[in-house]
Amino acid sequence: MVQPLLEWQAGRVTAIRPETRQTKSFTFALPKWMAHRPGQHYDVRLTAPDGYQTQRSYSIASPPERSGEIELTVERIPDGEVSPYLHDVLMRGDELEVRGPIGGYFVWDVRLGGPLLLVGGGSGVVPLMAMLRHRAAQHSTLPARILYSSRTAEDLIYRDELDGMAATDRTFEPFYTFTRQTPAGWTGYRRRIDAAMLAEVMRPFDSRARVYVCGPTLLVEVVANALVQMEVPIERIRTERFGPTGS
Amino acid sequence: MDNDEGDMNTALMVDGNAVGGQLEQIFGRDMTMAIARCAGCARDAPMGALLAFIRGPGIVLRCPACQNAIARIVETPSATYLEARGAAYLRMAPQG
Repeated sequence: MVQPLLEWQAGRVTAIRPETRQTKSFTFALPKWMAHRPGQHYDVRLTAPDGYQTQRSYSIASPPERSGEIELTVERIPDGEVSPYLHDVLMRGDELEVRGPIGGYFVWDVRLGGPLLLVGGGSGVVPLMAMLRHRAAQHSTLPARILYSSRTAEDLIYRDELDGMAATDRTFEPFYTFTRQTPAGWTGYRRRIDAAMLAEVMRPFDSRARVYVCGPTLLVEVVANALVQMEVPIERIRTERFGPTGS
Repeated sequence: MDNDEGDMNTALMVDGNAVGGQLEQIFGRDMTMAIARCAGCARDAPMGALLAFIRGPGIVLRCPACQNAIARIVETPSATYLEARGAAYLRMAPQG
């Protein structure tokens, strides 16, 4: 099968939903939609009146089972070139140039099997969420866990949905850790992800897990090094650095 | 390069995966799973796992093992430049 050419197309914004103080989810209806693989991204391009163009890539949050449209969850980077425009200017009904889906490296679907360990920091959870939404849409019972680090409980994206998935699916379990401030009565993790935490969360899976890590560079490197120490085969580890955070 | 600049560059670094769109535009196929052999240290890595620096006027892809610049991509209004002296080769599986 020949891959169709990657082309820019005009996506129409059909919904904008605030997720946290710094993140919003944008739904785009696409005239040339094609099914993506969970973990893939789209490029978004802005063109100024003088012709200056700039682009960024954003992970797809929606599962491929949602046809005809994609949802991108975007963190607002205060000095960014693209995300402040998306957050502050873009409105429902507007059109935006996008191209995708892109990438064959950081992808997972149920055919690849499990158990599945997802490790995310901040908005690095977005491609992991596409994997979990796809897994749920497929009614998969492959064991899955997510270890998700954020500054505070308010900064957790998709928390209600993750907790809802766990409530109805005994084969899935989320673990949260807060690095800056913990809610009253919190008995869970309250530090940056480290090797000991990772070992606890992945214990039932041991080294058979397929592991996807997405977050800031430091988190990705700590986790990737710990996984290698734990003798997880390198071909079962996929990492993605999502670049700068707002802090 | 002083330390502050080093930290800033590291903070702004992403993966080759993030420039999969530009690579696909050039090669006409997904390149994130293509293997790049570093001309500096001979290590193989999927292009999606190279270190990518994208905040400059062009894109620089570096070897995750030795930081050698494997490829540079610059897009101008009239042309796209790909300089890949730092790659011994790229290996692509047949498309299927």
